[in-house]
Amino acid sequence: MRLDPSILARIQFAFTVSFHIIFPTMSIGLASFLAVIEALWLKTKNPIYLQIYRFWLNIFAMGFGIGVVTGIVLSFEFGLGFARFAQMAGPAIGPLIALEVLTAFFLEAGFLGIMLFGLNRVGSKLHFFATCMVALGTLLSASWILSANSWMQTPAGVAIHDGQLTVVNWRHVLMNPSWPYRLPHMLTAAYLTASFMVAGVGAWYLLRDKHQDFARRTVALGTTFATVLIAGQVFIGDIVYGTMLKHQPSKMQAAEGFWEKQSQSPAPYYWFIIPDQENQRNRFALGTPVLGSIWLTHSLKGRVEGLKNTPRELQPRMALVFFAFRIMYCLAMLMFAVGVASLWLRFRGTLFKSRRFLWMLVFMTPSGIIATLAGWYVAETGRQPWVIYGILRTVDAVSPVPAQALLSTLIAFVCVYAVFITAFLIFTLRIIRPRACGSSGLRRSVWFYKERIPAVRARQPETIGG
Amino acid sequence: MDLPLLSASFVAFALTLYVILDGFDLGVGILLLFQPAKASRDHMVDSIAPTWDGNETWIIMAGVTLLAAFPIAYSILLPAFYLPVILMLLALGFRGVTFEFRVQSKGHRRAWDVAFGVGSLVAALMQGLILGGLMQGVTVQDRHFAGSVLDIFHPLPIISGITLLFGYAVLGAGWLKLKSNMSLQHFASGSLRVSAPAFAVLFGIACIYAARIQPCVRAQWASHGIALACLVGLFAIAAGTLTTLPEKNRNVLPFSLGLLLFLVGIAGTALIVFPEIVPFSVSVWDAASSSTSQGLVIIGAACVTPVVLAYSAFAYWIFRGKTPENGWEA
Repeated sequence: MRLDPSILARIQFAFTVSFHIIFPTMSIGLASFLAVIEALWLKTKNPIYLQIYRFWLNIFAMGFGIGVVTGIVLSFEFGLGFARFAQMAGPAIGPLIALEVLTAFFLEAGFLGIMLFGLNRVGSKLHFFATCMVALGTLLSASWILSANSWMQTPAGVAIHDGQLTVVNWRHVLMNPSWPYRLPHMLTAAYLTASFMVAGVGAWYLLRDKHQDFARRTVALGTTFATVLIAGQVFIGDIVYGTMLKHQPSKMQAAEGFWEKQSQSPAPYYWFIIPDQENQRNRFALGTPVLGSIWLTHSLKGRVEGLKNTPRELQPRMALVFFAFRIMYCLAMLMFAVGVASLWLRFRGTLFKSRRFLWMLVFMTPSGIIATLAGWYVAETGRQPWVIYGILRTVDAVSPVPAQALLSTLIAFVCVYAVFITAFLIFTLRIIRPRACGSSGLRRSVWFYKERIPAVRARQPETIGG
Repeated sequence: MDLPLLSASFVAFALTLYVILDGFDLGVGILLLFQPAKASRDHMVDSIAPTWDGNETWIIMAGVTLLAAFPIAYSILLPAFYLPVILMLLALGFRGVTFEFRVQSKGHRRAWDVAFGVGSLVAALMQGLILGGLMQGVTVQDRHFAGSVLDIFHPLPIISGITLLFGYAVLGAGWLKLKSNMSLQHFASGSLRVSAPAFAVLFGIACIYAARIQPCVRAQWASHGIALACLVGLFAIAAGTLTTLPEKNRNVLPFSLGLLLFLVGIAGTALIVFPEIVPFSVSVWDAASSSTSQGLVIIGAACVTPVVLAYSAFAYWIFRGKTPENGWEA
């Protein structure tokens, strides 16, 4: 079998970037969550908030660490696997990433040490400032990187002469057409991810009848944030959809499973299809009639367009885009249902008692991560065969590196990352496990704040997860 | 204004900071392999835990500045050093996650410490390999890398890899002298006694060997003879002082001498490579992106770097002095 370097380079990038994005998604959400919790602690002086802070700081620290080291890989991988892309796009996205490092990475790194180890050295006020700076760093980082990625989706502000790209207007590069919508979409996704994680762990404790105070507060906070955020996300997602439909129609057509240039109205909404890219049709399709027209054109008879409008060699693979989109979409609807249910239960006063709802929350703990990953798969696979949409095709972007080298490093990445995720899951579950014994390990990673208020010390809470 | 020269200086600045900052924490990681006592290992890791992340960020800074300002150099060098770069990234990754994982681990801390040490060692080795590969020269054709990914496995890169390993160990031992209490002072002095002479001798061998196999290096020695001779002299004096330092010497001196060795080495390397950015075929100006891209990077760097340096220094200042025996949070 002959190995194709371009396929291997893509698999390697897809693998490393997918693995990476899980952790920043958590970190962005958790950093802001921790800032909120520490603010509540400073305001109320209730030690339960310090306890919640400590608990989630542990998991945040591990996730952040993995995010950093897998992120370093990406900043070099543009050149390792896609040298021709780097050479062409470097002048446009390079400065954006350089500014990301300058304004965000250093900010996070500079204050992370204080956040993790510094409470006793700097006092609670300055420590809160450090937490806020880390949270700000994660937001800035997301803004720059979304700007770079959105530029690849909807390039603007550049001129091309003999294959060399020159930036003519930085404002257009930075604020390219899709960035203003994709950034809030991603940030909301990150916040949703953290909300469901926080609520899920709290729900688990309630079901196990452990750490009641801790659990009630985190379930209440998590579901509140989640409810507000998912309502916003549905709205933002719709705008992103409209923007992408305008700029990359083929991506959205693939996401909906439509082939025909123009549908015989009204169009169904497909829930499941088996697409046949070869013959440009669906071998099997399961959908709700008319719903597609209602959803996409907001009318009963609206016509929808399909992938055949794009020349065959410039079409994305429908199966990838469609299923990624369906996974994200269905999870969003589930989240929405959870949000509505939480409002209802709160109204009834049984938010912490309904076991069925609590189990649902436990089940939804990783939902944000999965939905975010699926969303990125829609964005990235739907852009194919382009790496810079309309400018550079992915196959033309690959490095002059032999397939054997790519294959062996791909295997190395898979092995090393498998160790990372296994360790992360084991340690996270160990922290979460109610009343795990032997706290020596935890004690070292999270400081014990030397309370200076005697009244508070008397109410020293139980230690959770360690 | 000569924008490419400014951007190149910023890349050099970021790389220098990376080498000396991550150099000492990689060095501490390497020395961890030779420390049998668990409590001492904890103490060693504690001494670098609050600041390693910032140290490592400088290599990303150098990398992405290269991407932004010298996309041609970036897209030649990374494929050229494909294997050592990826091994370095994996090793740095292992090391990075171990900071967070080893404290969570109960029964397997030894295993994580070995992973930490091996990660540091491999990362150092690979960085040295890349440096040696640069000195050996990179094969370029029509703005693309045209050599083999295996070019790196030649004597010069290998010597240079081992040299850097000892160099980082010198910095790490110096750092431990600076930050640790009595029980580790002895260990740090012992490490210095081995690593300092080894580093100096190997560095000399690497320099001579590079000049032997690469005519461009020889040419640079000829044209910058006086400057390079001064650097060699400085290096020799610093190395000599470091090697003969009595054990109970002042705590700051070993680390400062280690830094001096590295600064001299980096200055010499820069003299030899410049004005090339891909040695010895593509110059700083030939690899540069358009002035709009250069401009944004330089303006951003000029405005933000002072702030970054200020709060990074603040973070170091917060954790100044000797590392507490039972960790920072005690």
